[in-house]
Amino acid sequence: MEFKDYYKTLGVTREATADEIKKAFRRLARKYHPDISKEPDAEARMKEVNEAYTVLFDAEKRAAYDQLGRGHRPGQDFRPPPDWDSGFEYSTHGYSPGGTADFSDFFAELFGRMGAQPPHDRGAGFRARGEDHRAKVLLDLEDAFTGATRQISLRVPRQDSQGHVHIETRTLNVKIPRGVHAGQIIRLAGQGAPGHGNAAAGDLLLDVHFKPHPRFRVDGRDLHFTLRVAPWEAALGAVIAVDLPQGKLKVRIPEGAQSGRQLRVRGRGIPGEPPGDLLLDILVVLPSAESPHARVLYETMARELAFDPRREAPENNHG
Amino acid sequence: MDETDILIGSVMEDAWLTLEQIAAACTADPEWLAQRLDEGCFPNAESVAGVWRFSTGAILRARRMRQFERDFDAAPELAALIADLLEESDALRARLHRAGLD
Repeated sequence: MEFKDYYKTLGVTREATADEIKKAFRRLARKYHPDISKEPDAEARMKEVNEAYTVLFDAEKRAAYDQLGRGHRPGQDFRPPPDWDSGFEYSTHGYSPGGTADFSDFFAELFGRMGAQPPHDRGAGFRARGEDHRAKVLLDLEDAFTGATRQISLRVPRQDSQGHVHIETRTLNVKIPRGVHAGQIIRLAGQGAPGHGNAAAGDLLLDVHFKPHPRFRVDGRDLHFTLRVAPWEAALGAVIAVDLPQGKLKVRIPEGAQSGRQLRVRGRGIPGEPPGDLLLDILVVLPSAESPHARVLYETMARELAFDPRREAPENNHG
Repeated sequence: MDETDILIGSVMEDAWLTLEQIAAACTADPEWLAQRLDEGCFPNAESVAGVWRFSTGAILRARRMRQFERDFDAAPELAALIADLLEESDALRARLHRAGLD
């Protein structure tokens, strides 16, 4: 297990005051906030920052960490001596952003038992439902049409007979129902943290996300697809085959279709009650005029059609 | 439970989440959520026969608000305002995505 320098993570000195630690945390919380950060590793960095703040902002944990960490360097192999924490009284209060399940092995080894025991001041009859845990599940769009079984690995704190907490990896096979869409949450009852005093375990909540699809864009249960058509298909109308994530569909393009026009095929999006729609965004693609024959055809159209696109759509012509 | 067992989850559908479920999903006390409801911070929550019902979107809103209150000592109204702005930003990003411009 590697030693973690929480002071370095927050960018403060070992002598920093509580106020300086709070300010440093807020600066980093803003920098790595998942809703706005452009940093590629923002989520991982935010976990490290949360973990460091959880320890350094709590006077009891900070004192224990300072005593233990004297003389250790970041990344150095580290094993806490037995009973290292005797003499420190921990409360279960303090800062713990969204639970500590995401924190490192280092944190779990040092402070994990705090979270594994019920609060001291609630008596022997204390019962409390376990915390809900969260995880992301990344699906292919095709899974929404067929359903899927996904293997999910979770890091779970476990307490051994000596009361030390270690992180274990737990693997679950989860059946993803057909018709699921991004933004939904799948609940696995009783698969969260164990309850205290024989109370029920929490649930595991899976946030559903789709991998980006090379052809379709997903909006709820609706599918968007850019349908590229030839000028004569757009002008004369045509029946065009579209490959869907499951099966094929023939779509009639009406005469006179233009780029930007959208065709809606009801009920051919992600299945469900109600199913989503398939939205086809028409894009007219011109053939190249590189060959002499194509050039002649374009020149014939230019001469004989007397077509002026700027007069056809004057609202788009500001020049 | 064996590692080869297959767990079947249930999809949490819109408008069927209780106050306790939302609170548990963002590691918050139900009292914290009840106070925010009283303060009008969850405009889309519905009360049916005295029981609060939430859409799944309320989980993300509650998580965000809780994070702003906790990390920045934000007042509940300010946390709700930031959540409003982030929801607006999510909606605009979704429009860009639908248009293939992201």
